[in-house]
Amino acid sequence: MSKELEILQRALQREKAARKQAEQILEGKSRELYQLTQELKNVNIKLEEGLTEKTSELQGVFGNLVDAYVLMDISGNVIKMNHAAKNLFGYNINKEKLNIATLIHKEDYQYAMASFKELIAKGSFSDYQARVYTKHKGVRTVHINASLIQNSKNQPIAAQGIVRDITEELERKQIFEEQKKQLSAIVENSSLGIALTQFGKIIQTNKAFQNLLGYTQDELLQKEVKNISLNDEYEEAAIKMQKMNDGILDNFSINKRYAKKNGTVFWAKTNVAAVRNEDGSIKYQVALIEDITEQLEFEKQRNKLVKNLEKSNKELNDYAHIVSHDLKSPLRSMNALLTWLKEDYAEVIDDNGHNSLNMLLKKVDKMDHLINGILKYSSIDKVDHPKQNIALLEIVTDIIDVIHIPDHITIEIITALPVITGDTFRLQQLFQNLIGNAVKYNDKKQGAITISCEQKDEFWEFAIADNGAGISKKYHDKIFQIFQTLDENNESTGVGLSIVKKIVDLYDGEIWLESKEGVGTTFYFTLKK
Amino acid sequence: MGLTFLLIEDDEIERLKFARVLQKNNYNHTLMEAKNGEKALEILENSEELPDLIFLDLNMPKMNGLEFLKILKSNPTLRYIPVVILSTSNNHNDLKESYEIGIAGYIVKPLKYEEYAYKIKCLIEYWSVNELIKR
Repeated sequence: MSKELEILQRALQREKAARKQAEQILEGKSRELYQLTQELKNVNIKLEEGLTEKTSELQGVFGNLVDAYVLMDISGNVIKMNHAAKNLFGYNINKEKLNIATLIHKEDYQYAMASFKELIAKGSFSDYQARVYTKHKGVRTVHINASLIQNSKNQPIAAQGIVRDITEELERKQIFEEQKKQLSAIVENSSLGIALTQFGKIIQTNKAFQNLLGYTQDELLQKEVKNISLNDEYEEAAIKMQKMNDGILDNFSINKRYAKKNGTVFWAKTNVAAVRNEDGSIKYQVALIEDITEQLEFEKQRNKLVKNLEKSNKELNDYAHIVSHDLKSPLRSMNALLTWLKEDYAEVIDDNGHNSLNMLLKKVDKMDHLINGILKYSSIDKVDHPKQNIALLEIVTDIIDVIHIPDHITIEIITALPVITGDTFRLQQLFQNLIGNAVKYNDKKQGAITISCEQKDEFWEFAIADNGAGISKKYHDKIFQIFQTLDENNESTGVGLSIVKKIVDLYDGEIWLESKEGVGTTFYFTLKK
Repeated sequence: MGLTFLLIEDDEIERLKFARVLQKNNYNHTLMEAKNGEKALEILENSEELPDLIFLDLNMPKMNGLEFLKILKSNPTLRYIPVVILSTSNNHNDLKESYEIGIAGYIVKPLKYEEYAYKIKCLIEYWSVNELIKR
């Protein structure tokens, strides 16, 4: 019994010891476990901290991205948008759901789908460019780079895209292109030849330039300005070009000759302008050339004509002068000789003889008047006095004071007379001749002459009316011709009215008359304002 | 004291007219005559006595009045002789040029002899009371 007890007691003892050992191991293990847990906890905290850090870093990056950032799940629901994306699309996904499909412009739908497939298949796409709708019905053109986000098992779970709004950039580009088109339309259709040159080399030309020179664009681009210029004027151009290079000139214009492909030469007015870099050095020159061969020819002819005209005018003037003087000389002699005959032989010559001598003297006198008339008529448009403002009232009043007016004739100025620009001498001649005639040929007991003026749109119309003998209709044109006179008693020379006509013509005016024989005549004339 | 005149004039009757004025007025002045500028210069070079006054026509064959006047005025001795122009016209250019070169008077010859005689008479009487440089 005791043996059994002893065995039992020993077994109990062993079991106790074993349990104690087990307990000790367990205790050790659980301590280890605890420590491990603690360590894990620490690591975890660290990891979490790191993750938050990274996340907030990323969030910062996305938030601050100038471009829009969009994150969506695989069925296109937008999960995340940065600030730029909200601004661009106008949606706030915290408040409303947004599926990417609503953004796609209907005309770009197929292209969008194709790109989406490419994204799934390849994991990314880039340089997608299409139109999108914004929340407020706007249409923007965007550029998108996108990539797929996969889980650890390589299954796609989301997609993200960087979206850049290129609407304005495109517009600017379009405007630029448009302007470029407009500009080149102008340049191409210009009748002026236009060439761009750089250091003497031709780098661009327009159609007109090619046509002028007979070369194609490609041929011209192989050439230097020197090759199409003639040596004579090239020197002059080169000097000016140098001044341009030195910054003294910004543009210049010369007439120079160009050699065409077919060997002929033409004159062209050439304007050269410098296009400078910011530092003032010359980037290139723009040359505008205009064929003036014909123009020069015209000018040459015109100059020749003008010269001839001047010459013949002067000759005519001199001629009138010389002839008049040469004619006057013998008249003076005749007058002297006749006078001496009368003086020296007064006793010998009978009345008849004296009568003849007196008539001869009168004819000599008349001849002298005629010559003076020619002189006056030919000089009326020769002497160019400076134009000035002339009060016609003053002129007419002076004339009335100066010319001899018999007592039975009255002259009245019945309207205001204007101040006009002109030449005093001519206007004086004009009025003096007309008033003088009205006085001289008045045959009434009470002569009445009136002077008046009426203002018209572009001219003044004057009237000088008399109650004289009147002029038959058949003479109305004739009286303005030189040496035509209706006067039978030798006094008049027939120059006065032709001078009047000439002066009125000089003022771009007209002259005419209304007359009733025996009742009177009214001369009308206009002077341009 | 009689004066000596040199009349330079190509027209014979003009010369007659001048002489007649002198004669009719009983002036005791001396008249030398030249048909043109060259002849006048010859006379001026060769005569012992220089004229007191020159009457000069402008329009003459060969050397004309203005050419003569220029030569006269550039001669250190002759330049002091006063010159009166007797011209056909009052042409502005002639007047201006004459006064520029240096003249003492400018007369336009009138058509009528009476007027001519009157003008010449006035001239001669005017110059008769003037002091002149005598050599």
